[in-house]
Amino acid sequence: MNRLSKKLSENILDKFSMDFLRNQVLKNAYGNDDTIIAGLDPRILLAWYLFFGLVPWFVNDIPFLMGCFLLVMVTTLLARVAGLVLFLFALGVFTQTGYLFLATLLFGGDASAVAPLLILTLKVATISLASVTVFSGLDPDKLSNGLMWYGCPERLSFSISYAYRMLPMLMEEFQNVLLSYRLRGNPPAHKTLGGKIKYLIYQVKIIMQSFYPLMLNTAKRSRTTVEALELRGYRYAAVNQSVKKIKLAALKVSCNDGIFLAVSLLVVAVSVLISTLL
Amino acid sequence: MSTMQKQTATQSQKLMIFVLSMSLYGLATLFTELIPSFQVGIVEFSVEFFLFIPLTLAMLFDPLSAALGAATGELVFSEIMLGQFGGLGELEKFLTVTIGVYIAGRMVKNPKNRAMVGVAAITGTAAQLLMGTVVDILKVQLAVEDFEAVAGLPESVFATEGFAFLNDLLFSGILFCLLPTLYLVPKLYGKIEPLLGMAPRTPDSAVSGISLKALIVCAVGFVAAIAAELAATAGMSLVDWEAEWAESGTALAVGMIVAAVIAIVALLIVKRNAGKKAAVN
Repeated sequence: MNRLSKKLSENILDKFSMDFLRNQVLKNAYGNDDTIIAGLDPRILLAWYLFFGLVPWFVNDIPFLMGCFLLVMVTTLLARVAGLVLFLFALGVFTQTGYLFLATLLFGGDASAVAPLLILTLKVATISLASVTVFSGLDPDKLSNGLMWYGCPERLSFSISYAYRMLPMLMEEFQNVLLSYRLRGNPPAHKTLGGKIKYLIYQVKIIMQSFYPLMLNTAKRSRTTVEALELRGYRYAAVNQSVKKIKLAALKVSCNDGIFLAVSLLVVAVSVLISTLL
Repeated sequence: MSTMQKQTATQSQKLMIFVLSMSLYGLATLFTELIPSFQVGIVEFSVEFFLFIPLTLAMLFDPLSAALGAATGELVFSEIMLGQFGGLGELEKFLTVTIGVYIAGRMVKNPKNRAMVGVAAITGTAAQLLMGTVVDILKVQLAVEDFEAVAGLPESVFATEGFAFLNDLLFSGILFCLLPTLYLVPKLYGKIEPLLGMAPRTPDSAVSGISLKALIVCAVGFVAAIAAELAATAGMSLVDWEAEWAESGTALAVGMIVAAVIAIVALLIVKRNAGKKAAVN
């Protein structure tokens, strides 16, 4: 039993390495360009998200919420979201409502507690899945173009594009710095409880210290980035209307967008019908 | 050279600071988002735990750019990128982080003065945590969020929230904000500024000191944060207007279904025709 649990924890740690995280984030950002969701117009998707991100909060009707939930589940499947994001989603829903259910059962609650909790869970799940669909299903450039069309500040769309490009590099660099600190360091023995606490402190300390070289390196890199942007007239272009027009000219509402919206409407209408008939 | 003399950076340097703070703090919050928060005894390792990064940067560079960059980084990296965007509720975090970091950055005149750096770091963290606590208490006091466990006992809310605040400040705040900032600021001072093409901050060049205007702007931002958070949670109690719409809606729902089906069929036909045309051409 002991060996089994040890093996299990090793296995999980293996899976949860820095490389795994990097791959998942990269896959999430660029790995699904060819899905149906990624082919849609970002403006339509953002408007769609506005509906499914807001309306479920105001409705307490189980059939309606169920219909919305099924719809966003299908869209999430269509967007082929990375596994890690789905895992985080499940974890988030559980920590928001699932443990409440367990607590009710533990303290002698009965099945009557299920209905309100189900409503809350459906709300939370629908809203987060809708955001997962839109924000992970679209590739970052399209997403930032869509946000820009709605008049979001240029800084935000720039940050999104930049974040997706830079993140893998930053992660790799952080890992390298961390590993080099580990190579040079001498970790305390961690067999006993006191040693374990010392080991934890040691690890936290290393993480803090590794931000020192990381900060210097990132400073250099951000200077390079900004200078490259300046050379291309970024700050001038960011506020120039005609540049914005050229940039957004690529956005086009196609037939697929109409079908997507109509199907969503159909599902919502059917669920409303069911809820009124019940 | 005149631009190098003053701490008030040029526009492109501000952008550099923004990018620097955004990517570093974003990376850090991404980790905290991926690694579930865990507890050791009563010490909770929470998101505040990497606040030392923007604090350090705000003390060395232009505070406003660093603060805005940190808040944007958190929003973009850990919320939007992982598809966990919570809508209006995120605005509260955005504003409190910005205000806390900005206050800390404005307080430090001379980054070599360790005592001042320490006081500023703990003040910034405390400001950020305190604003979060006030928002939480207000949420309960205005009965936006129903709390079933301790109904009728507002004192207990103050007690639990106050305890959480002190716990966060004394453990996470000191361990993860104060000590790393004290370690990093003097070490980076004079080394990181040339990399961005700037002169290090000195008592004469600093835009430091808390002015009345800065305080007023912070207060306005805080009120906006409260409003955003309350609006985000208020959705829970605005249920009533839904009922009448749902009752009379059978005919409406049927109409909607018919309209949706017609729209789908029409669009499919249009699409097929377009495909045929493209094939012919």
